Amino acid sequence: MKRRLFLGAGASLTVAFGVGCALPVLPKRPTPSTSDAIAWIRCQDGKYRLFLPRAEIGQNIATALKQIACEELGIGWNDLEMRLPATTDIGPVRATVGSESIKDFALPLAQACATLREELAAGRYTGDLVARDIPASELRAFGVRAAHARQWVGKAPPIEQANAIVRGERLYAGDVRLPGMVFGRVLRALASPELASCPVAWDEPAARKVNGFIGIVQDPLFEQGRSMGIGILAATPGALDRIASALAVRWDIEGSFDQDTVDNAIDIDRRLADGALAHNIHKDALEPVALWDVDLRIDLPAAAHLSIEPRAAVAQFTQADELQVWVGSQDAFFVRDVLSKKLGLNKPDVSVQAMRVGGAFGGKTICTVELEAAVLARTAGKPVKVQWTRAQELQFGFHRPPSSHRIRVSLQDGQIDQWSHSFASGHIIFTNAGFPPWLQNLADFVDDMGVARGADAPYSARCRSVQFDQVRLPILTGPWRGLGAGPNHLAIESAIDECARVLHEDPVQFRLRHLNDQRLVHVLQQAATAGDWGEPKQRTKPDVRHGRGIACGIYKASSYAAVVAEVQVDAKGRARVNKLTCIHDCGQVINPDQVKAQCEGNLVWGMGMVLTDHLPIGVAQIGATNFDRAQIPRMVDVPHMHIHLIDNVLPPTGAGETAIVAAAGAITNAIRDATGVRTVRFPVAAADLAEV
Amino acid sequence: MHITINHHQHPVPTLWQEETLLAFLRDHLGLTGSRFGCGAGMCGACTVVLNGQAQRSCLLPVAQAAGQEVQTIEGLADASGALHPVQQAWLDEGVPQCGFCQAGQIMSTVALLREHPKPTPAQIDAGLSGNLCRCGTQQRIRAAVRRAAGAAS
Repeated sequence: MKRRLFLGAGASLTVAFGVGCALPVLPKRPTPSTSDAIAWIRCQDGKYRLFLPRAEIGQNIATALKQIACEELGIGWNDLEMRLPATTDIGPVRATVGSESIKDFALPLAQACATLREELAAGRYTGDLVARDIPASELRAFGVRAAHARQWVGKAPPIEQANAIVRGERLYAGDVRLPGMVFGRVLRALASPELASCPVAWDEPAARKVNGFIGIVQDPLFEQGRSMGIGILAATPGALDRIASALAVRWDIEGSFDQDTVDNAIDIDRRLADGALAHNIHKDALEPVALWDVDLRIDLPAAAHLSIEPRAAVAQFTQADELQVWVGSQDAFFVRDVLSKKLGLNKPDVSVQAMRVGGAFGGKTICTVELEAAVLARTAGKPVKVQWTRAQELQFGFHRPPSSHRIRVSLQDGQIDQWSHSFASGHIIFTNAGFPPWLQNLADFVDDMGVARGADAPYSARCRSVQFDQVRLPILTGPWRGLGAGPNHLAIESAIDECARVLHEDPVQFRLRHLNDQRLVHVLQQAATAGDWGEPKQRTKPDVRHGRGIACGIYKASSYAAVVAEVQVDAKGRARVNKLTCIHDCGQVINPDQVKAQCEGNLVWGMGMVLTDHLPIGVAQIGATNFDRAQIPRMVDVPHMHIHLIDNVLPPTGAGETAIVAAAGAITNAIRDATGVRTVRFPVAAADLAEV
Repeated sequence: MHITINHHQHPVPTLWQEETLLAFLRDHLGLTGSRFGCGAGMCGACTVVLNGQAQRSCLLPVAQAAGQEVQTIEGLADASGALHPVQQAWLDEGVPQCGFCQAGQIMSTVALLREHPKPTPAQIDAGLSGNLCRCGTQQRIRAAVRRAAGAAS
């Protein structure tokens, strides 16, 4: 079999449909063109309307793309109404993932708006627009242009929908209410969907006695992964809990696993003992080394997205074969395609309305709750709302895979001589939440670029070996903010810090000697200056140790960040971050305030990676059902964050996942500076940092 | 059974008397600004003000709120629609990312400022530590609370 079986011209995977799978797991939709963008902007009776071609997940892309449109059209902020589209409003667009929304969508939108502006100026008010590929240099929104010449781009206008947010207006899928709407849930065995499970017995008479009981629904479409569910319908949301409890469903669950199963599956040293890993990023032959100068084993556990909004959907059939669904998804078109295929409906007859998403971070990219709502609505003959519980989010959503890293470095004359990074991780882009085993086996002939992301370190070395295994785990794993870039950078930046320590060299100077990319050099130097690098560390109390750390990185070969962290660790080993300084370069900045907001988010996520993120694995299931066992940083944990943006005239890239590449590394290096302890298991345990 | 919400009295029909206050607000009255995040009082997205105190509405049976005075995010702006100083501070500081937790953050802040009109940084952190945000807006929330405290003086 040829190794590149599925890899087409682009980097995306298209699936040869076989028996048992009739859905595009990774839908291949090309980069948007100017002619696609024509459908996003409309003008009628002097009023403009923008159908947002991206999911609004809190990156405030609605604000940024509205800035582009208003700039190009030469109109006021209130002259343009932004709408989140239904799939029937615009042509298919790609999933909102990978920090691509400004990079790939701003230019075609600006071209479409400029075309519209020119047509209107020429007195043509009706008919179809023919898009023109206007070069960026001729557009108002991009390139060299004095800031005062722009009205919207480079500014921070009011955040779109913020007024509705602070007023508590209806914005999210779960806020949708329809006449006659009832409430549904699909009950499943408390077991990973990787294990086959199904209901075998339940107490229907007891359920019928519950106030608000409407019905029990069995449908083959309730199978997600290998988990077969059973549906319930009720007149109130609380009745769902009472019905579930009265039903007392007995489940058949095949097989089991626990934390050790998962830890063993990705144990990098065990895998290396078995020989070379399956996937290579660099494949230089390494020479034997008596003793590596740096030799680190670094492990990160599974971690949940923990968006504050658990996913929800409202579905109704307007006719026997016409379905309407309101969703909080990163990919409304994928939801439409799944629903149309599974329910046997024509695509144009399935209208999926995008709602504001209450946090996504890569976790709301597949079709789950939407299918449950649609099937229940079909059976009920009424609109149905399905709101996943927090336990369902944790048990049936997918998560950041755990990963296990071995980094070995030899130094020669102050330079990195041999660099070896081997790691194993659960799948990310080839998520087991979407790929059945047979398909994943085929996919495994190519690299899961989500697992590989960020593993190609920017530091020069004479020889490099960078190899990895992508492992199907018994828990669901998939994309999580930054994909592999967060864990891979944490491992790399830890090892680089150790290299500098071995040489008794300043970590900034060591990095600068090994970097060739001038944009990365620039953010690193700026961060050192802004972050008081080399200044004396503050001392507050004698038993509190203070440290400063630095890290940097490149995200998707296009965005740059460097971070300086200041931490303190008390005698009991409790670490807290006092200050984070971030320098960020994503090319031309469309909205500085919101790029800073994305940096703040990434800094807090990086802090979470080091201090809190840990999704425990129980017997046959995720070992957490709520925020008590799956924690995220709290208000009291969040330090002062100072962010400086490098604004330039280079094409704009992405900001949604960039600073995470440097934040975690800077913090763990600061802990090393404060305590002398190199943290290799995350999140850090106070016991490892306590003074003995 | 009746409950007073944002100064309006609402009957609680029999069907809804076993529900939580949050379900009653969202799914019976259509006051969907209070949000479901965890169902266990752990995230604060459902926070309302009950008799002047911040209260997690996802755990509180509606029957226990009967006869009491509940204020929700929808009841913060005045009759003319002008925003409450805390809401305005949220806009002025550009707080919201996804926005899902923010109604709860705002209601906790309203209760906090009632108790501590000039909160110290430690009081702000303590008062809002039960309100989770995954987007990372905490630094802006702190700034907005300080701004609202200044505006309220």
